[in-house]
Amino acid sequence: MAAVVSIAGLTKSFGHSMALDGLDLEVSEGEVHGFLGPNGAGKSTTLRILLGLLRADAGTVRVLDGDPWRDVVTLHRRIAYVPGDVSLWPGLSGGEAIDLLGRLRGGLDDRRRAELLETFELDPTVRGHAYSKGNRQKVAIVAALSSNAELLILDEPTSGLDPLMEATFRQEIRRERAQGRSVLLSSHILAEVESLADRISIIRRGKVVESGSLDQMRSHARTNVAATLSDGATRLSATPQLGAVPGVDGLRIEGSRVQFNVDAGGLAAAMNVLTGLGVSALTVTPPSLEDLFLQHYGERGGQGRTQ
Amino acid sequence: MTGRHAAIRTAGTQTSRTPLTRIALTGTPLTGTLALLRHALRLDRWKLLPWLLVIGIFPTVSYSVYGSLFSTPLEAKALQLSLGTNPAFSLLFGPATDLGTAAGFTAWRVQMFGMFFAALMAVFTVTRHTRAAEESGRAELLDSGVVGRHARLASAVVLAWLASAAVTVLVGVALMVAGSEPVPAFALGSAFGGMGLAFAGVAAVTAQLGSTGRTANTLAATVLGVSYLLRGLGDTLDDSEWLLWTSPMGWAEKIRPASENELRPLLLLLAAALMLAVLAAWLESRRDFGMGLIAPRGGPARGRLGTWGLTARLNRGAFLTWAVVFVALGSVYGLVATTMSGIFNDNPFVKQMIAFRLATEEQLLFAFVEVLLLVLAFIGGVFGIQVVLRFHTEEDEGRAEWMLSAPLSRLSYVGPTVVLAAVGPAVGMAAGSAALATSARLAGSELDTAKVVFQGLAEVPALWLAAAVALFLVGLAPRARAGAWLLLVYWLLLTMFGPVLKAPDWLLGTSPFHVVPNVMESNPDWLPVAWTLLLAVGLLLAGLAGYRRRDLASR
Repeated sequence: MAAVVSIAGLTKSFGHSMALDGLDLEVSEGEVHGFLGPNGAGKSTTLRILLGLLRADAGTVRVLDGDPWRDVVTLHRRIAYVPGDVSLWPGLSGGEAIDLLGRLRGGLDDRRRAELLETFELDPTVRGHAYSKGNRQKVAIVAALSSNAELLILDEPTSGLDPLMEATFRQEIRRERAQGRSVLLSSHILAEVESLADRISIIRRGKVVESGSLDQMRSHARTNVAATLSDGATRLSATPQLGAVPGVDGLRIEGSRVQFNVDAGGLAAAMNVLTGLGVSALTVTPPSLEDLFLQHYGERGGQGRTQ
Repeated sequence: MTGRHAAIRTAGTQTSRTPLTRIALTGTPLTGTLALLRHALRLDRWKLLPWLLVIGIFPTVSYSVYGSLFSTPLEAKALQLSLGTNPAFSLLFGPATDLGTAAGFTAWRVQMFGMFFAALMAVFTVTRHTRAAEESGRAELLDSGVVGRHARLASAVVLAWLASAAVTVLVGVALMVAGSEPVPAFALGSAFGGMGLAFAGVAAVTAQLGSTGRTANTLAATVLGVSYLLRGLGDTLDDSEWLLWTSPMGWAEKIRPASENELRPLLLLLAAALMLAVLAAWLESRRDFGMGLIAPRGGPARGRLGTWGLTARLNRGAFLTWAVVFVALGSVYGLVATTMSGIFNDNPFVKQMIAFRLATEEQLLFAFVEVLLLVLAFIGGVFGIQVVLRFHTEEDEGRAEWMLSAPLSRLSYVGPTVVLAAVGPAVGMAAGSAALATSARLAGSELDTAKVVFQGLAEVPALWLAAAVALFLVGLAPRARAGAWLLLVYWLLLTMFGPVLKAPDWLLGTSPFHVVPNVMESNPDWLPVAWTLLLAVGLLLAGLAGYRRRDLASR
């Protein structure tokens, strides 16, 4: 599949602080790409460079086969953007703001606009300063989704939306993908990325530290296993037998309960051992996105975790 | 209950050095005022300092040069006769009641300027901490803590009062250091400070009326403008001194520093300040958070705005306001210019000048018109800078980022702003000078309309330079964009007061407003205007190139 976004070795600094430090990112045509990281990791800076709002210090950046800094006007006909923190004109109504952006793009799909206003329950006659944060966000979402852009760049689009509207948003994004649009979705909400993204890139301190589909990422990560053994006599042999399986780690046995985690390569062998020992209950938990994320951000998220 | 506690905790951690949490839970509507005041003081110390310095130091400069201006007291008396009785100057600066002393001269020269700016300082300060803070959401965080219903309003007003008191003290002490007697020094200071007090009250009220900071500021500035005009008419028109009692600025003028040192009008200002503050508090309890008493209307569901329409829309309010100001001021100035003929006949110096053919009456009249046009020109300068900085606000508040995500080049985005900043002030200047000439003619003056308009238009390149400076800064050094205001104030002070204070020619030449020739002269020198124009174009191009190449500011 062709790449709609390809970034290699991108660096950008503001004064003394390094915002991006050799970032690589590739978004394929027709996919929803989750761009995951906490605040300050460099997500917005990356998106702003993709939009030609900031100039890259070094590295190559291609968007839809163009140079985002040089080919601003031609590229932006094919891109729609939802800013992370939408600010509206205090005196303009939401409808006017949507139409302003639409007009700059050379028109928008009126039927889709009306449909989106209804789905998101947005009143377009309210003036900018009277909207809540969530409603300001909706204005930008409606403006972006009612355009005919091939690539949607969304910077934490659901911040401020209530859970119901988040679900609506996910549904609309799936619809966009079904029509062949590509989506670059930056977020720090794991559930959102997990449910929407075909592929994910995790950014940390201005670098992409992991990239791939959720399945691919899971295969690198460890599976948690918890089992209750049926026969007390075999318990003594559980420790050496499981300990001998390559890839098993964190083995804990309390009474008849066994807990450990294991990488993808050792999973089959570990299961064999457990079957041999006799199991009365078994829970196998695949690594969640949260686990993957915490592997890279371990030092800040380590303590608060519950399983 | 838990929610409320959480909110209190948030406010406490966010402003950790402001001990909001230490305030008792049961409180009055003013609970927390002191804590908010300290917080506001810390936020504002650098914002208030330039105001205090400019307003506080300028009288001293004027005082210090007095000695070198006139070699004999007679000369001062002559100036008082020829300028002090001139209605154009009375309208602008108030009547010259005592030019025989340094303090009297200083009071006449700087009182309008100081009163005007002290009032503006108070207005901006109050709006910043009330309506503008509510608008930006800063206030919500603070209000969710343990603060009384009127605490934020009270802290804003008290802050503006403190700043006004500081102006009074600063002017008084600085003048005494320069050698003035304490009474006239503090009388002048209290005229300034009194204006600050009263207009802090005005802004407290307008902050309740408008639902945006901009509206609140505009309403308060309108009150100030009307106030200035009323006292100007009171000073110039026959038998209309009673007009001075109709506005705060008239009261402040009634203090008459140096000549009368009458402090009773100050009590009026104090009373007005207190009453307006109480009125504001009453209004505040009748409205909801974030809402104004002037309810915002809904807007259309569909729009047809493009970049041009948007620029027009964003500047519509300012444009209409300034258009009214231009025409109103122009008309009033025209009326004043008409009364000049009578003055010429009463003034022995002018009579002599005319008798010796040093000047014709029309030339003299035109010289005064030139001064009046200069005031219009500064307003045009303000308008141009305002349009350009309005454009930068879009970037500052994150809307430019959204706009530029559409197929829109940086140049087509800034284009309408450049055109408006060029056309707007020029149209205003033309309308203002035409209004001046027309009202003067209607009142029976001999002024040549075409020449007055031509003189007005001769100021336009200077207005363009002011706007170009702003655009240059926005393009290349957006953090320093406020420098455009400083430069305009510098030009204003230099052009208005430089000649009287006998500033050297090279210094006067740094103001594009000073170098505009008199079109009545037989051979006006247009070269400096050409330079102004060239410089404006150069700065504009550099600014545009810079804006095209620079990173857009992130929020």
